[in-house]
This record gives sequence, structure tokens and C-alpha cells, in this order.
Amino acid sequence: MEDLRTERKGKILAVKDLPTLPPVLEEITRMIEDEHSTPKQIAEVIAKDQVLSAKVLKMVNSPVYGFPRRINTIQHALVLLGFNVIRGIIISTSVFDVMTQAMVGLWEHSLGCATISKIIAEELQLKDPEEFAVAGLLHDIGKVVIAVQLPEEKEEINRMVEEEDISYFNAEKKVLGFSHDRVNAWLAEHWNLPLTTKEALTYHHSPRFAQFHPDFANVVHIADFITKVLEIGNSGDDQVGILYKKGFIDIGLSFKKLAKIMDKVLEDIIEVLTFIPK
Amino acid sequence: MQKIPLDKAKTGMVLAKPVLKENGMVLIAQGTELTENHFSILKKQGIKFIVVKGTPLDLGEGAYGFSIKKRLDRLDYIFRKHKNNKWMQKVKEFFNIYFTYQLKKNKTED
Repeated sequence: MEDLRTERKGKILAVKDLPTLPPVLEEITRMIEDEHSTPKQIAEVIAKDQVLSAKVLKMVNSPVYGFPRRINTIQHALVLLGFNVIRGIIISTSVFDVMTQAMVGLWEHSLGCATISKIIAEELQLKDPEEFAVAGLLHDIGKVVIAVQLPEEKEEINRMVEEEDISYFNAEKKVLGFSHDRVNAWLAEHWNLPLTTKEALTYHHSPRFAQFHPDFANVVHIADFITKVLEIGNSGDDQVGILYKKGFIDIGLSFKKLAKIMDKVLEDIIEVLTFIPK
Repeated sequence: MQKIPLDKAKTGMVLAKPVLKENGMVLIAQGTELTENHFSILKKQGIKFIVVKGTPLDLGEGAYGFSIKKRLDRLDYIFRKHKNNKWMQKVKEFFNIYFTYQLKKNKTED
């Protein structure tokens, strides 16, 4: 079993095989780590790829971020949102085509979760709500990578969810020996994502294990839950998991605040449901 | 208050938030009652969504594949694994009350 697991990890981590990630991603990842890089230089690198730039700008102007006015340049977007958010957006828009093919509804689920993550962060007055949004946007990316790298196992997971009426998370565990949260952790490591995003991606199913940024893990966990209650898109489940009570309370939520969050979600929901990043 | 696509907006609706131009200047102020004139300005500026007062698009029965009524009907099913968990029953009850209230609110605004 252990050997099989290692083999599957290897197969999944051959992310170089992922056809969709643009070469620009590696370049800007390197630039972000170099403290001498300026937003202008990074913006120039992204802007060289016109298709990518257009996709990034479309996403920046999406209901997820909800800026009251249009943002027209990559440089402006970088200054407003920061490197990490823009890089997260590049990753998510790059896998958009694969995502919509691999799992129908997962894109809409991710977009919903991102929007709701931002709304929760704003309601709780957490710093940089856009960072929460991008964590929500990427929280199920491991599912896409599993679907692309291990298509047969993916079929088996689907079959199990349907026939045994278990959660997608548990079906992944049974079939693969691990779930998409593990894959998320490997990917976050591989792409050198910031610790905040990494913890949200790794612990959105088990926020109690988030050591450094439990607020990120909790917000995305709760947003994922609400997205499932609203059944925005499809994450592979037709049921909700347990909402982590301690996290809900620790982060400062109450049912009264949840009602306010829901009001905002419903205000924006039509724009979320009709948004396509192309 | 609801964010709606411009093609679903009608004259007489009132802006709950201002519409901004790309340079951040106010194009049409909050509280403005929309007239035919405004629509040509909005289209020209490429505005796709506006925020208006009330909930003109009825989410109760459903719009864009989303319906509050369906949310209520689905609650038992999607919470089916948590029948013996007191906390989860409380959470479910919250959504039950919330959606029921929204459904009533949508109806009374009609």
C-alpha cells in the first residue's frame, strides 16, 4: 500500500505534464522570490502573454474581488492585489479549461467558494480579504490534478461516491490512500505558495490542524461549506460535511454574522453564477 | 439590494450603489431613479452589472439556476449524514430559518 501511495504521489507530482500551466508562471515565481523585482518588471513579464493577461484582468474584475471600478492593467492589478493573489489567479485561470473538462461544476464551486471566502473575511474584518479569495479559488485544485494524472482512479472515486453514498473526500482516501488536501499540500510546496494559502489549501477539510494561519483554513472551510449548502456548481458531493464548530466560534462567527454574510452572498449571486473567465 | 445584469434592469429602478467610470469617477449617483437616458449611458460605458434597491430578480422561485425554494427543499437531503449531530442540526436549522425568511421577503416585495 505504501509503495502504491508513493507511486501515485510521484505520478501526481509530475505536474510538468500538466499541459496548461504557462511558462510565465515559473518565471514570475522566481521573480517574486527575488526581492529586487518590482511590480513593473513582473507586470511586463505577464503582459508579454496577451491571452494570459486578458484572462487575469477578466478575473481581477470578476465578482470574486468586487472592485467598484474596472482595473485595466496588470501593473495596477499587481499593486492592488499583490504578487501572491495574481499568481493564484494565473494558476486558476490556466487550469480553467482542464477543470471544466475534468469535473463539471468544479469551476463554479471554486468561484463560489472564493467569493464567499472574501465576504467572510470582510465581515470579520480580516486583513487582505483578496488573499482569502484566492485561497478559496484554489482550494480544490488537487481534485483537478488527480483527475488529470490519475483518470482511472478518478472514475473509481466517482463510482464509490454514487454507489456507497460516501463523501468525495472519503472516497479519494479509500481509492488513493490520500485525498485532494494532500495533493494541495504538495502543489503548494511545488509552487512555493505563501504559508497562508498553503494552510488554507492543506487544511480546509481539517482546520484544527492549521498551525500558523488557522484563520485561512477556517474561512475557506466555512466558505466551502456554505457553497455546498447553496449547491453552487458541483464539488463532487451532494452532501455537506461537518462544519468545524470550534473554528466557527474561534474566528468570531455567530449565526447573526452568518446571516449578514448570507445576505451579501445572495446580493452578488447572479454575477457569480453568470461569470465565465473568458 | 441586488446586483443585476444591465439587460435585466428597467426604468424606475433605484440605484443602491453608485455606478463608477473606469477612472473611478461617479457616472450615476446612488439613489438615482433610472430613466431611458441612463441606459444608453450605461451601455456606452460598457457597464454589465448594477446594484439596485430591492430584489427585482426573484430568487425565491429561481433565476439563473438558483432558487431559494429549492435550497429549502434540499436541506434535509444534503444534511442527511448528520441527523444525530446536535451542532449540525443547529446549523441546518439556521439555514432553514434563513431561507424561509428570504422566501417570504421576496414574496412581500412583489
